[in-house]
Amino acid sequence: MAIAKAERLMNLALCLLGTRRPLSKRELRESIEAYLEANSDDSFNRMFERDKDDLRELGLVIETVENLDGEVGYLARRDSNRLPPITLDAEEAAALGLAAKVWQQARLAGAASGALQKLRAAGLPEDVDPYEAHGALEPRIPVHEASFEPLMLACRDRRPVVFDYRKATAARPEPRHVEPWALECWRGHWYLAGFDRDRGAERVFRLSRITGKVRSRGARFTAPVPDVVTVRETVAGWAGETADRSALIRLRTGAGYPLRAKATSVRELGDGWDELEIPYGHGLDAWLVEFGPDVVVLEPAELRADVVDRLRAVAKG
Amino acid sequence: MAGKPVRPTNAIDQTRRMLSLVTYLKERPGARVEDVARAFGITEDELVSDLDVLPMCGTSFRGGDLLDIDTDGERIWWHNPAALGEETAEPLRLAADEATALLVAARAVSTLPGLRESDRQALLRATAKVETAAGEQAGASSRLSVTFEAEGGVFADVDRAISERRRLWIRYYSPARDELTEREIDPIRLVSVGHTYVEAWCRRSEARRTFRLDRVAEIKILDEPSAPPEVELRDLSEGLVQPAAEDPEVVVEVGPGGRWVAEYYPHDSADELSDGGLRITLRTPDPASLRRLALRLGRDGRIVSPRDLADSAREAAREALAAYDGVEAQGAQAAGAGRDGQGDGRYDRQEQGL
Repeated sequence: MAIAKAERLMNLALCLLGTRRPLSKRELRESIEAYLEANSDDSFNRMFERDKDDLRELGLVIETVENLDGEVGYLARRDSNRLPPITLDAEEAAALGLAAKVWQQARLAGAASGALQKLRAAGLPEDVDPYEAHGALEPRIPVHEASFEPLMLACRDRRPVVFDYRKATAARPEPRHVEPWALECWRGHWYLAGFDRDRGAERVFRLSRITGKVRSRGARFTAPVPDVVTVRETVAGWAGETADRSALIRLRTGAGYPLRAKATSVRELGDGWDELEIPYGHGLDAWLVEFGPDVVVLEPAELRADVVDRLRAVAKG
Repeated sequence: MAGKPVRPTNAIDQTRRMLSLVTYLKERPGARVEDVARAFGITEDELVSDLDVLPMCGTSFRGGDLLDIDTDGERIWWHNPAALGEETAEPLRLAADEATALLVAARAVSTLPGLRESDRQALLRATAKVETAAGEQAGASSRLSVTFEAEGGVFADVDRAISERRRLWIRYYSPARDELTEREIDPIRLVSVGHTYVEAWCRRSEARRTFRLDRVAEIKILDEPSAPPEVELRDLSEGLVQPAAEDPEVVVEVGPGGRWVAEYYPHDSADELSDGGLRITLRTPDPASLRRLALRLGRDGRIVSPRDLADSAREAAREALAAYDGVEAQGAQAAGAGRDGQGDGRYDRQEQGL
C-alpha cells in the first residue's frame, strides 16, 4: 500500500529537524520508508523535490549545504526554525481564536488554523471559548472566486499574471497583463490592485469579472509596489460614493428611506412631498429611477435629463 | 456553537498539525483526546487519524526510534518522548501564509464596529505580538486586506440583546417594497459576510429572517425575554439568499451594460445573447420586488416574464414622467429654472409625444 503523503512529509521534516549535520539525498532516501519504496531514481528525485517545496510552504527553513566531497546535504537548523518566544494571555488567545475562524477559503483557513496550532504548541492559553468571549459575533470572510488563490500567491511572490477580464459593460473578456500588488475585500467582494502593463497605469479589478484561469508568468517583477494601495477609494468611486456635488429632489412623504438617510437637508412641503438635498456622485441617476414616481429631480439639469432619459427607455419597454 | 472552520483534509495541513502536535503532546503525558482536539480546533476523528500516522514517523537518520504514541480513545500516551530530541520538539516559526492568514483576519475583526472595546484591545495586543514573533514572514500580510461593514450603534444593541437574551424592536427598511416596517425580533446570531446581518426569529412573519444591519433605521432593546424557537443554524457559506425551488421564476434580458445583474442576483442560469448581453433566469418569492431592477436597468435590460411585472415597471416609468411635466410648470416660476429651462424643454416636448 502506498504510504500516505503526510507520513512521508512528517518523516522528512523530523529527519531534517533532528539532524545536526547536513544529510545527503542518499542518506535521506535510505532512512525514509516511502523513499525506499520509490521504484526509480527519477521518481524519488521528483518526490523529494516536491516534498522539500511543500515543507518550505509550511514555513520550514531547509538549508542546502555542500560538503568537502562536493556532495549536497540538507538540514533544517533549529535556530532558523524556532518560533521566537511569545506570551499571550487568555483574552488575547480568545481574540486570536475568533480571528482564526473567519476564513472561508480552504488554503487560508488551513494556514490560520496552522498558525494557531503552532502558537498552541508554544503555550497559547486554551481555557477560553472564543465564541463565549465575543458574544454572538460570527464574522466570515467570503471567498468564492477561483482566481483568489493564484492571485494571492502572485501578490506574495511578485509574479506578473495574465487573465481574461470582462469589464462591467463589455460583452467580451479581454486579456490583461498585470503586476499584482494587493487584494482587498470590501462589502463582500474581492478586488485586485496592480499595474496594468498594457495601459501603463494602476488599475483595480473585480475578481468576479475575471473569466478563465489566472496564469502566472515566470520571472518576478522588480518594479516597486506602493505602500498604500487605494482599492477602496477606486471602488467607492465606481459605486458613486465619492460625491463632489449635490442634487435637489422631491420625494414622496414616507418613501425612499435610504435617500433620506443620505440627505444633507430635508424640507417638508406639506403636499405629500418633501424636498431633499442629496450628494450627487456617479450612478445617482440609476438609483433615483429605482424609486419610480416617488422621486422627481429638480436640479441639476444634467441629472434631470439623465433620469428622464432612463425613464423613457423603461416606459417604451 | 456552529462554525468549525472550513478544513478539508490534505497532507500539507495534516503535516503542519502533526508537527505542532508532537511539541504539544511531549509536555502533556496522558492528555485527553477531547481536550487536545479542542485545543487544536479539530474533530476527535481528525486527531485519531493523526495519532495513526505518528507511530510511523521518527526523527533521526538510521536506526532512530519511531514515535511510540498510542491512545485508548480517551487518553494519549507517548512511551518514548526522548525519541524526539529536546530541540526537535521546540515550537516552529510561522510560515508566510500562516502569518498572513492570522494577521489579516485579526486586523479585519479588529475593525468590526460592534466588537467590545476590551476584546478589541486584546486583539490589537495579540496582533502586535504575532507580528513580532512572525518577523519578516509578517511582511506578505500587507498584500491582503478585508474591511467588514457594520453599523456601530445597531451592532452593539443586537450584540447586547443576544447576550442578555432579550427581544428587539426594529424599524426595518425593505428595498424591495421601499418601505419601513416595524417588527419585533428574537435575535439568534450576528453574521458578517461583507455586510453584517442579524439572523432572528421574526415575530411578525413567524419565521426565521435575516436582517442587514445597515437597513435597520431604528432599534430598541425590549424588556421581554427573547424566545426564538429551536432552529437549526443554517450553513451560510453559500450565501445568505437561498431562493426556494417553489419560488416564481423571473426572466430578465440585459444588454452588455446590464451584465452586472448576474453578479448581484443569485440566479439559476445566465445564457449569452448574440449582442453581448445575457438572458438571466432567477427565482424570488416576490417578483414584484424586482420592479426596482426593471426601472434601474433602463435601456440596459428588460423583464421578459412575468408579464405583469414588466407592465408594472412600464406603468411606473410613465407615471414618473408625467410628474416631470407638472414640476416643470411650477419649477419655471418657483425655482427660477431659466438656466436649464432650455434643456428640460426638449424633454418635455418629447414626453408629451409618448
